[in-house]
Amino acid sequence: MTFWAERNSDSMEYQNSPRGLIVDLLTPLNSDGSIDGHGLGRLLDSIIPYVQGIFIASPQSGEGINLGTQQKVELFAKTLDVIREKVPVFFWVSGDSEKATRDNYSKLNGIVVKRKYRGKIFWVDTPLYYHSNRGLPVYYKEISSIAGRPIILHNNPEFVRGADRPLKRLNIRTSILKEISSIGEIAGMVYSGSLGRVHNYQKACRGRKNFRIYDENEGRFLNYPSMSGVVSLGANLFPGQWQKVTLSSLHISSEEKGYPNYIKQVWESGLFLRKVMEIYDVEPVSILKRILCDKGLIDFPYCTHPSGDIKEPLERLKSIIGH
Amino acid sequence: MIIEQAKEVLIIEAESIMGLVERIGREFESAVDLILKAKGRVIVTGMGKSGLIGRKIVATLNSTGTPSIFLHPAEAIHGDLGMVTHDDIVLALSNSGRTSEINSILPILKEMGIKIISFTGRPDSQMAQLSDITIDVGVEREACPMGLAPTASTTAALAMGDALSVVLINRRSFDLEDFRRFHPGGSLGERLGKKVKEVMLAGDNIPEVQLGTMADEAVREIDSKGIGATFIVDAEKRLKGIITDGDLRRCLLTKKGMIHDLKVEEMMSPAPKTIGENQTTAEALGLMELYSITLLAIVDKQMKVRGVVHLHDVLGGEEFRLNGISKFT
Repeated sequence: MTFWAERNSDSMEYQNSPRGLIVDLLTPLNSDGSIDGHGLGRLLDSIIPYVQGIFIASPQSGEGINLGTQQKVELFAKTLDVIREKVPVFFWVSGDSEKATRDNYSKLNGIVVKRKYRGKIFWVDTPLYYHSNRGLPVYYKEISSIAGRPIILHNNPEFVRGADRPLKRLNIRTSILKEISSIGEIAGMVYSGSLGRVHNYQKACRGRKNFRIYDENEGRFLNYPSMSGVVSLGANLFPGQWQKVTLSSLHISSEEKGYPNYIKQVWESGLFLRKVMEIYDVEPVSILKRILCDKGLIDFPYCTHPSGDIKEPLERLKSIIGH
Repeated sequence: MIIEQAKEVLIIEAESIMGLVERIGREFESAVDLILKAKGRVIVTGMGKSGLIGRKIVATLNSTGTPSIFLHPAEAIHGDLGMVTHDDIVLALSNSGRTSEINSILPILKEMGIKIISFTGRPDSQMAQLSDITIDVGVEREACPMGLAPTASTTAALAMGDALSVVLINRRSFDLEDFRRFHPGGSLGERLGKKVKEVMLAGDNIPEVQLGTMADEAVREIDSKGIGATFIVDAEKRLKGIITDGDLRRCLLTKKGMIHDLKVEEMMSPAPKTIGENQTTAEALGLMELYSITLLAIVDKQMKVRGVVHLHDVLGGEEFRLNGISKFT
C-alpha cells in the first residue's frame, strides 16, 4: 500500500504525530566519519523501549548540518532497518537550499518505497535555514504534495542565526505559521525560543486539531511542560528517567501509581535530569558521546565538529552517574 | 526572577483558558441540553486534583439551581454507586482520561442507561470513548514542573465547570428570588429575604416637598436627604410625583436657567414607582431592575408616603450585579 493509499484509509490517525518523549538521537560515527551502524543499533535498542519517537540527524545534536547527503541517506536507511516500524521516526530533511531540500525528500522517499516501510515517518524541516518567511505557505502547499509523509516544522532562532545567512528573521512569523498549519500534511513543530512566542504560535494553531508543538529546550520542558512533548538530547543517556518525567508531565501515567512514592521518584528524576543537563550543556554532543562510548553503546566518540576542553564537565558527569 | 516566574505561570494559566474558547462547540451545547432535560441530579466524579475541582463544580451547580452531588470513584466501586439513579447525569473529570477508578465505574453506569459527560484533556482516551459527550479541556502547557501538581489543566477544567453552571443559570432563568432561596446564609441572600419595611427610610429621612413649593426648596431637600430625589406630596401627604437628579438636569437643559422661577409640579415626573412595605426586598430589587431606577416609594392604600427604599438599602450599601444584568441608573 502506498503512503497515499494508507493516508486515505486512515487519514487523521496516520498524520497525527505522537505525544511524549522524542529522543534527539546522537549520530554514532566511526573515526573516519562514516556512520557507525553497530553503534547506531545498540544505541537505538537501548532507547526504543522508552520513547514515543526518534529524531534522526537533527541539525545540531544529531550533527545533521555537517552530514553529507550520502551520509544522511545511509543513516536513514540503517535507522529504518533497526527500528522496524516500532516507533515513529523524525528525520531532519532540510538542505542548504530549496533545491537541496527537494532532492533530500526525493532520495529519502526512495528509501521508504524501496524498503516498503510502513511505519510512521515525519520529515522535520527548518524552513528559515534556506527560505525566507515570504512565500512559505505557497512553498509548503507545493512541497507537501511531494514530501510523501507529514512534515514537522522546526523553529530554532539560535540555529538559524548560526547559519550565517543574510536572513531578516530568525523565527517563523506567527501569521505565516497560521497559514502553514492549515495544511493537513503539516503535523506540528519542534520549537525553541521564548515562552511568549510559543504562546502566540499556540494561539495561531488552535484551529488545527492535533497540531503538536514539541519543546526542543529540555530545561523549558522540565519547568513548564508542553502537552505535546519534548525533543530530548539527554534521553540518549537517561531514557528511563526522561520517560518517567515526560509521562508524568503529560499526565500519561496514572497519577496514583505508587502514590506518594511515585511523586517523589518523579521529582528526584527531574532534579537529576536538570543537574546533569547543566553539566553537559556546555558541549552536549561531545560529552554525551564520550559517556556513551565509555558505556560501550557506541564505538567511537567522534564528532563532526571540534570540541573544546570537556575534561572537567566530563569528570563531574561521570561522578554523578557513578560511572 | 521570582516575579518573572510568577508572571509566566499566570500567563500559562490564562492561555489554558483562552485555548478553551476556540475549542468549545456543539458538545458543550449538547451537555447543557442533557442536564436541562434530566429529571435527576448531576453526579460529578473525579480523582485527586480532578476530584477537588469536581467538588467545586458541585458547589457551584448547587448554588445556581442545578442539583448536584460528588461521587468519589473509589468509594463508588465499594458501594456508593447505589446513590446514582436512572434519572441522573454523570459528569466525569480526568485530564488524562486514563484514571482507572473512573474508567472502571463508567461501563457500569452506561449499563444502567445513565448518560455520561466527560471533561478531559484527551478526547481520544478510554474515558472519552465511554462517554456520551466529551468536552475537550486540554491545555497546551502545564505551569508546574514534571506535572507533579496539575495546574493549567485543573484551571481549565474549573473554568469549563463555571461556564457550564453559568449557562445553566441563564437557561433555567435563575432569578433573584432563586438566588435568595439558594443562598439564605449569605449576606445578600439574607438581605433579599427581608421585608421592605425593615430596610426602608422613614419619618424625617423621607425627602418630600409639597405641591406649590419652588424649585430651589426642592433642590435643597434633595441635597439634604442625600438619596438623589425628593417626592412631591399634597397637603394630605399623598404621593403626586417625584423629582430626581435626572429631572433637574433635564430641566436645566430645557428651561435654560429659568429653573428658579419654577414650581415643583412643573418639573416633577408624575406617578413614581411604588411598593408595599410588606413586600420583600427581592421584589423591590426586581422592580428597580425592571424600570431601571434606584428608589421606590412605600405607600399605603391611600397613597400616603410611608417611606422610601434605595438600591443601596436593599444591597447593604454595595453595588451588586447578578449575572451582569444590572441596569441601575
